[in-house]
Amino acid sequence: MSKIPERPLNGDVEDDDEDEANDGLEAWERTYAEDRSWEDLQEDESGLLRPIDDTAIYHAQYRRRLRALASTAATARIQKGLIRYLYVVVDLSKAASERDFRPSRMAVIGRQVETFIREFFDQNPLSHVGLVTIKDGIAHCLTELGGSPESHIKALMGKLECSGDASLQNALELVLGYLNQIPSYGHREVLILYSALSTCDPGDLMETIQKCKRSKIRCSVIGLAAEMFICKHLCQETGGTYYVALDETHFKELILEHAPPPPAISEYATANLIKMGFPQRAAEGSVAICTCHEEAKIGGGYTCPRCKVRVCELPTECRICGLTLISSPHLARSYHHLFPIVPFDEVSPSSQNDPHNSLPNICFGCQQSLLTQGSKPGLSVTCPKCKQQFCLDCDIYIHESLHNCPGCESFRHSKSVIAAQ
Amino acid sequence: MPEVRIIAKNFMDMVASMPAMKLDKLYENGFICEAILRSLPPLAKKYVLQLLHIDVPVAAKLLEEWVLPDGFSKHRVAIDRLVQLRVFVEAADRKNEKTYKVTPTFQRSLQKLLVHGGTLPREPMPSNITVRLPTLEDLEAWALEQWECFLLQLISSSQVEKPSNISSSLMKVFQRRLLSQRDRDAPKLTESGFQFLLMNTNAQLWYIIREYISNSEERGVDAADLISFMLEISFHVIGEAYNINTLTDFQRSIIKDLADLGLVKLQQGRKESWFIPTKLATNLSVSLADSSSRKEGFVVVETNFRVYAYSTSKLHCEILRLFSRVEYQLPNLIVGAITKESLYNAFDNGITADQIISFLQQNAHPRVAERAPSVPENVTDQIRLWESDLNRVEMTESYYYDEFPSRDIFEGACDCAREWNGLLWEDSKKMHMVVKAEVHPYVRDYLRRQK
Amino acid sequence: MPSAPSKLYSDDVSLLVVTLDTNPFFWSTFSVPFSDFLSQVLAFLNSILLLSQLNQLVVIATGCNSCGYVYDSASSKNHVSPTASMPALYSNLLHNLEQFVARDQKLSKPDHDTRGIVPASLLSGSLSMSLCYIQRAFRSGSMHPQPRILCLQGSADGPEQYVAIMNAIFSAQRSTVPIDSCYIGSNNSAFLQQASYITGGIYYKPPQLDGLFQYLSTVFATDLHSRAFLRLPKSVGVDFRASCFCHKQTIDMGYVCSVCLSIFCERHDKCSTCGSVFGQAQKDVTSANSKKRKA
Repeated sequence: MSKIPERPLNGDVEDDDEDEANDGLEAWERTYAEDRSWEDLQEDESGLLRPIDDTAIYHAQYRRRLRALASTAATARIQKGLIRYLYVVVDLSKAASERDFRPSRMAVIGRQVETFIREFFDQNPLSHVGLVTIKDGIAHCLTELGGSPESHIKALMGKLECSGDASLQNALELVLGYLNQIPSYGHREVLILYSALSTCDPGDLMETIQKCKRSKIRCSVIGLAAEMFICKHLCQETGGTYYVALDETHFKELILEHAPPPPAISEYATANLIKMGFPQRAAEGSVAICTCHEEAKIGGGYTCPRCKVRVCELPTECRICGLTLISSPHLARSYHHLFPIVPFDEVSPSSQNDPHNSLPNICFGCQQSLLTQGSKPGLSVTCPKCKQQFCLDCDIYIHESLHNCPGCESFRHSKSVIAAQ
Repeated sequence: MPEVRIIAKNFMDMVASMPAMKLDKLYENGFICEAILRSLPPLAKKYVLQLLHIDVPVAAKLLEEWVLPDGFSKHRVAIDRLVQLRVFVEAADRKNEKTYKVTPTFQRSLQKLLVHGGTLPREPMPSNITVRLPTLEDLEAWALEQWECFLLQLISSSQVEKPSNISSSLMKVFQRRLLSQRDRDAPKLTESGFQFLLMNTNAQLWYIIREYISNSEERGVDAADLISFMLEISFHVIGEAYNINTLTDFQRSIIKDLADLGLVKLQQGRKESWFIPTKLATNLSVSLADSSSRKEGFVVVETNFRVYAYSTSKLHCEILRLFSRVEYQLPNLIVGAITKESLYNAFDNGITADQIISFLQQNAHPRVAERAPSVPENVTDQIRLWESDLNRVEMTESYYYDEFPSRDIFEGACDCAREWNGLLWEDSKKMHMVVKAEVHPYVRDYLRRQK
Repeated sequence: MPSAPSKLYSDDVSLLVVTLDTNPFFWSTFSVPFSDFLSQVLAFLNSILLLSQLNQLVVIATGCNSCGYVYDSASSKNHVSPTASMPALYSNLLHNLEQFVARDQKLSKPDHDTRGIVPASLLSGSLSMSLCYIQRAFRSGSMHPQPRILCLQGSADGPEQYVAIMNAIFSAQRSTVPIDSCYIGSNNSAFLQQASYITGGIYYKPPQLDGLFQYLSTVFATDLHSRAFLRLPKSVGVDFRASCFCHKQTIDMGYVCSVCLSIFCERHDKCSTCGSVFGQAQKDVTSANSKKRKA
């Protein structure tokens, strides 16, 4: 386990190899090698080149995904671990300077961790992230658990230098110490981005893994080199996932899989009711003394609803009365997980030809005509609750981003039915 | 190249340069006010709307208070434009502070337009008359075809299959600055002619309209009437038919020319004839605003200097031919290559590298338009390099001196030329020197004095 | 929560989607008749179309029992009766609005209004529809006009719409569509304050309704491009209160389920949304929290 790959020192020669190895393609050809955009074109009967109309295929794929999601949601009552305490461990050992990812593993990790952190806070508004780096055989806590994406990103970008060996045990021990202090309702997680093919530890790593298991810390690893037994063992023991990234896009996919909240497992965290305050934002230009910096500030701050004291940022804890203060939109960001809208039913074009079917043939959401060229009814969907008809584009938008059915929302009658359920 | 930047904006300058009396008369027409309003920069539009219902003069200071520090230059531009066009009248109040007020005629017309809506002096064809009207698509295709046909005729009269009815004298007016004819050779495009071709349709249209209007006085037509009619036409509904009998004689004579340009389509009914405005006509007032270039592009440029243009237009092909070598042509795809030879050809014709690059950028296909830069850097750099290649030799008119009688006189002459900053080259051994032509008289005087 | 990042807009071509509150229960109790309000709004809407030929305008009526499109400047069905005395916008909009109000009235159930409470307008519905429409504009290609939403709202918030409205706000934020709100009711609207704050729009409550046109044209006619250069009304504070899931009340302090983040106004043993059974007492939580802070 101590094999440290020795690569030739002359990086320039390696670069040239890379270029030639790429199937002898020219630079301009390589830009298209991946998305194969020429396959999107077809020639019609008059010899004109047209893009292939793939909306129907695209929509079918989307519906399959949606149905799969809906069926899992129906079997289990949706319980998600929405309050997460996650440490991201970044391996900055010498192996991270490898150039098999372009420009280097380290740069790719930096870039993707940034997108991940933003996405993570978008999806898990009340969660906390901390950053740990491994370098020269020791682990170092870069940022403590916190809720501000900017401070994490800034800290990481300033520290992107690598040297020495990696140590899994040191990293896990450090994280263990921090995660043992968090409240019982929080989900403890570690995500390790591991470049090295070895670990250089002061003690028995297996024991540390058992400690993590006992502390109910879910450990996941994304490797950048090759699969390692110890990582796999760690993930299996603690209920996490282990994958090795093939290239940058795959790495991005893998890391973003950790952004949506995992299903809540009661043995990992106990459910609890937390008392919280929803402070009001003060007018722009008003002056008040804030408790966090203890100085007079001009501009919008927030007022604790219990003791009326001013704080600068949310979420935080009131310094005076200890009430957890959050802005309610933070909570509301995750509500669509709780009240998903049901998949819409597909309307076959043939059924619309019924004379007693008086659907208006325009999309209820965007008013687009549902008729295809030649005024034949095209594909459309209806909401099973309000029976309104939608176009395929709105269907996707409603389920993926809006999370409201415009039809159900705009009829009081159907609303009361939902409320009664 | 002072005349090159011929764009639609000049038209508003033309309006602005009209005497106050005539402007006031123009502003009585609500549509003109609307067109003028739409041509203003965004901030200016807002100011007009904000002061529309205020009858007392507003202090300039108050207006400035609305602006953030970042936007102050924009604010100045907006106010200047408003005053130039006499939409705002500037005055001084009792404390000698500058104030602004919307011109009463303009204010009245616009207020009326807001509350009662604009009413055209004529109504569209009632639906009970059964005349087959072209669909909007057909109409647009017809208009574009007509316009391109006109353009082709404009640049090379011989190539056109079906010449339009525009009188050759009028055609000459349009061609005045675009073509040059030497003796009995076939007319050749001038520099501005090539640049005209690289402009977008709206700018081209405005160029032609501007020529048309500026020529109007020679034809005995009042420019103000012409402007107001042009703007009025642009407010008609696309695709609706309007009775020609509602036009004055003067307007009827103009509408025929407009039909040749593709602005309106004339249709003969059973009893009456109708005119149908096309998108080109309604675009007239749109294109006055900055947002005129909302058109999807069609050109993809690759890093290997290939140009792919997804277009069926013959005109586009001709334009590409100006600076690239067209290799293949499919029904809706033109494939060309930018080569050194093709570019030298373009440079010879007076097209600059920047114009070619901005044409490629402005017409970038939506797929590549999102990329930055939309035209690969190596291509733009190379185009610029090839252009600067041509500029390696700089011509300076100069005079050559030799056979100086003595070294002193030679050195004195050198110093004299140096003093005037005109010594280009000297060879002190052989006592030769070259001076700029404009310095020659001084050096000559100096030498005379030495004798 | 940071408000939406400001985007750079190259020109002033706008797509304005207006949601118009037509709640009869509100207007019958309000000091200004609906017709007076409407005439000012119509002049404002007309001026939007006047500013640029490429400007697009969509009006969605927010009723008490339903929502519906009443005007779309891009629709081809606009030439109902081009009378010489009125702009096409007015005749079309008024015609559709009358139909809408009549339909909306029919939908109301007789037992609903007997309790004497003014039912809220269905803002969540009209916001959702606006966003669907705007997505269609986004789909139309890269040359679409810059969209924004203006809510002309009078009736009070309906706490039962909380989740739906928040979902709409976040979706608007994700697609960088600012929601402007002009609220004419008696108190401030917490929903609209949050909507404008989160999406980077303007919330404004006109102090009087006499010169409503002036307020509308000064504040809400400003296109997104010009907003970078002008001083616009600053927020007078945002009400970040939430609605509880159990009684649909607006609260500023409450209990949050740690599993699903549902908000309750009082203690429960079991979460009604996700079914989690609450174990430990509140005390443990705070002590754990403070321990963390010391660490």
